[in-house]
Amino acid sequence: MSDTLLAILHMCIFPGGAFALLVGFFFKGLDRRVEARLQRRVGPPLIQPWLDMAKLLTKETLIPNTACKPAFLLAPVFGFTGMAVCAAFIPIPGVYEGLSRMGDLLVIFYLLPIPAIALMLGGSASSSPFGAFGFSREMLMMLAYETPLLMVMLAVAMLVGKSMAGGAWSAEFSLLQIVSWQQANGSLGLNPAMIPALCAYLIFLPGTMGVAPFDIAEAETEILEGPLLEYGGPLLALFQVTSSLKSFVVLGLGVALFFPGTICPWWPINLLWFVFKCLVLMLLSLTLVKSATGRYRIDQAFRFYVTVPTVLALCSLVLVWVM
Amino acid sequence: MALENTLKKLSVRSPWLFRINAGSCNGCDVELATTACIPRYDVERIGCRYCGSPRHADIVLITGPLTTRVKERVLTVWNEIPEPKVTVAVGICPISGGVFREGYSIEGPIDRYIPVDVNVPGCPPRPQAILEGVVKAREIWLKKLGIDQ
Repeated sequence: MSDTLLAILHMCIFPGGAFALLVGFFFKGLDRRVEARLQRRVGPPLIQPWLDMAKLLTKETLIPNTACKPAFLLAPVFGFTGMAVCAAFIPIPGVYEGLSRMGDLLVIFYLLPIPAIALMLGGSASSSPFGAFGFSREMLMMLAYETPLLMVMLAVAMLVGKSMAGGAWSAEFSLLQIVSWQQANGSLGLNPAMIPALCAYLIFLPGTMGVAPFDIAEAETEILEGPLLEYGGPLLALFQVTSSLKSFVVLGLGVALFFPGTICPWWPINLLWFVFKCLVLMLLSLTLVKSATGRYRIDQAFRFYVTVPTVLALCSLVLVWVM
Repeated sequence: MALENTLKKLSVRSPWLFRINAGSCNGCDVELATTACIPRYDVERIGCRYCGSPRHADIVLITGPLTTRVKERVLTVWNEIPEPKVTVAVGICPISGGVFREGYSIEGPIDRYIPVDVNVPGCPPRPQAILEGVVKAREIWLKKLGIDQ
């Protein structure tokens, strides 16, 4: 009973829910600010995501007559819940061990696409033709970027598994084990065999976060933000919260897979160190790319994802195999 | 109640802009893009963001003299925008018709159909003027929310 309660607390307050939201909104504010500075603009204040949230809560919610009302209203809740649960599975090295003891990498792999599915659900339930466009684009993007992600996860799991089993054929799908193995044997991000996988993960990030050049499903100038077109007010706010939680999850997963080192036995320092590493990942793979690029067409993006990051992840997989 | 007032006060610091082209010659639209994109006039620093969907908009920027062909569409899109919304007429065309005034295909000025809150005259108006129009629109938005500064 108390285990269940503790798990729910982990999902609602730390590290899922409240804490992830705090960090996610901080990242989002900083992301907009840094992007503006890179383009030599002033940029919005750091608390802009909170201001947007306050604004959206005061706006009225309009539901289209032709929409499928239950699905339209539930889609954002579905996405938010999925991400809040997923955030509880992310270990923070030296602070928090993650919710599960075994196989949580696979659970995360299954939970990660939930926001995209919620977006697709909401878009198709809104009965708008632009929502349908967004639906098909989002689905294509998902098909394209899930493959490299799975291969990156597999490469990491196999490397750690083989080493722990003393060279035998094995894979380790527990994030906790992966993190503690790296703390003992050095970060995988610095391992030459894993550098292609790290690159593939960095390329995977903008695709899954739906930012330029891969903001194809929510392209505001082409298909009027696609699935989000009919959403407004508090429902849109919930989608934004989901996206912030997702940024926390994917960046935290990157840190756990590649750079889970700790610098100090005291946990607050480790927490700050974790946030700092997430921040560096974000600036490298999201902000820098976003501020310098336009938008791909969906066929270009699809072709890019099934070639470049897939081949990179495959390289790592083969290297792990032969080593 | 206090929380609601706080939210309302904070909300004007996040105005999302939506552009409607009511038959404009594109001059004002270029100026609007300039306001957003050129570092000197960065509109994002007051929390603005151009949004693609009328459902997300708070401040509507209308350009163009409202031609007969687009009138119905403009009114439809304008009605899609959730309350509270503030309407800004950008350029001389939506205000008086400009050089197109009394043309056979012109239905404007736009305030015959839509309540305009702020006029930003000019052909095209300077980016500074558009920025000031947006700032004025924020004050009107506060009033519409029922809050006196």
